[in-house]
Amino acid sequence: MIKRILLVLLVATTLSAQQLKVPDAEQFVGGPKGLPLAGESLERRTSEVSALLRCPVCQGLSVADSPSEMAVNMKGQVRELLARGYTEEQILKYFELSYGQFVLLKPKFQGVNTLVWLLPILALALGVAVVWMKLRKLEQAPAAKPAADAEEADPYLAKVRDLVNGGKR
Amino acid sequence: MNRTVLFIGLAIAAVVIGILFVGLGKDPQAIASPLVGRPAPEFALREVGTGNTIDLAQLRGRPVVLNFWATWCGPCWEEHPVLVANARMLQPNVQFVGVVFQDSEEKILNFLNQRGSSYPTLVDDKGKTAIAYGIGGVPETFFLDKNGTIVAKYVGPMSSDDIRVNLQKAMK
Repeated sequence: MIKRILLVLLVATTLSAQQLKVPDAEQFVGGPKGLPLAGESLERRTSEVSALLRCPVCQGLSVADSPSEMAVNMKGQVRELLARGYTEEQILKYFELSYGQFVLLKPKFQGVNTLVWLLPILALALGVAVVWMKLRKLEQAPAAKPAADAEEADPYLAKVRDLVNGGKR
Repeated sequence: MNRTVLFIGLAIAAVVIGILFVGLGKDPQAIASPLVGRPAPEFALREVGTGNTIDLAQLRGRPVVLNFWATWCGPCWEEHPVLVANARMLQPNVQFVGVVFQDSEEKILNFLNQRGSSYPTLVDDKGKTAIAYGIGGVPETFFLDKNGTIVAKYVGPMSSDDIRVNLQKAMK
């Protein structure tokens, strides 16, 4: 009996020693906080979440759009995590903890990234200010003489008018 | 008005030049990894050739040099003899481990048979380990201290000096 127990223990120890293990999202972001997805909703959410991730070996392509092996593997992992009940926020956090914010196609509003959000608004405000100042300057400039005055001053035009009106003005 | 526009233009140019100056002055090999300072993601992968399982957790107690590489990567060919020589010199005080990145076991075996090896090379099925370590290209190398914490990441082929400098961080 004891021999049999020892044998079972030995086999169990050997099997566990041989068991393969890959890093799991749980090490990074804890357990799933959402509901497991399946079927059509799983495929739809996989595409949506993958579109938020940058393919690290491509030039400006999302994981959803890239055909590279790396992107295919990452997309597979997104699908697996959604099927296990991980939320979009958890999945993005998991990839961010591995790759940094570089992997997020939509930069976060923090640190240097703030410039990415604020600079276009500042540039637009600057443009509006320049146009407004230009318009204000134009308004303040002396008004041009009316065309009628210019015609009065032109002796040729005055002569033509006299001829047409028969000398009456 | 013209002076104001000139001033604004110069200010914008100064900011752009400043950003370029800081960016271009950085070492492109020194890419910050959010994993530095954190426990290394755990894995237990199969060794090419022997089929043995190597568990990262079992390597605690000594620094680990974890190298992601592939046979299709030119710089990896350049780096391989450096890693083999350093592993021969530093093991068992330091453990070197290779992880295959998007490659076939057959090609890896041929490569190792032709060019030699002095440390285990592991198969990363579906690239899950590479993804967890934030690999974007190879070679990329992580230096782990004896507690299994990542203390440095190096992108690109390493020289013996690079290994020495980063191992010093792992020895502290």
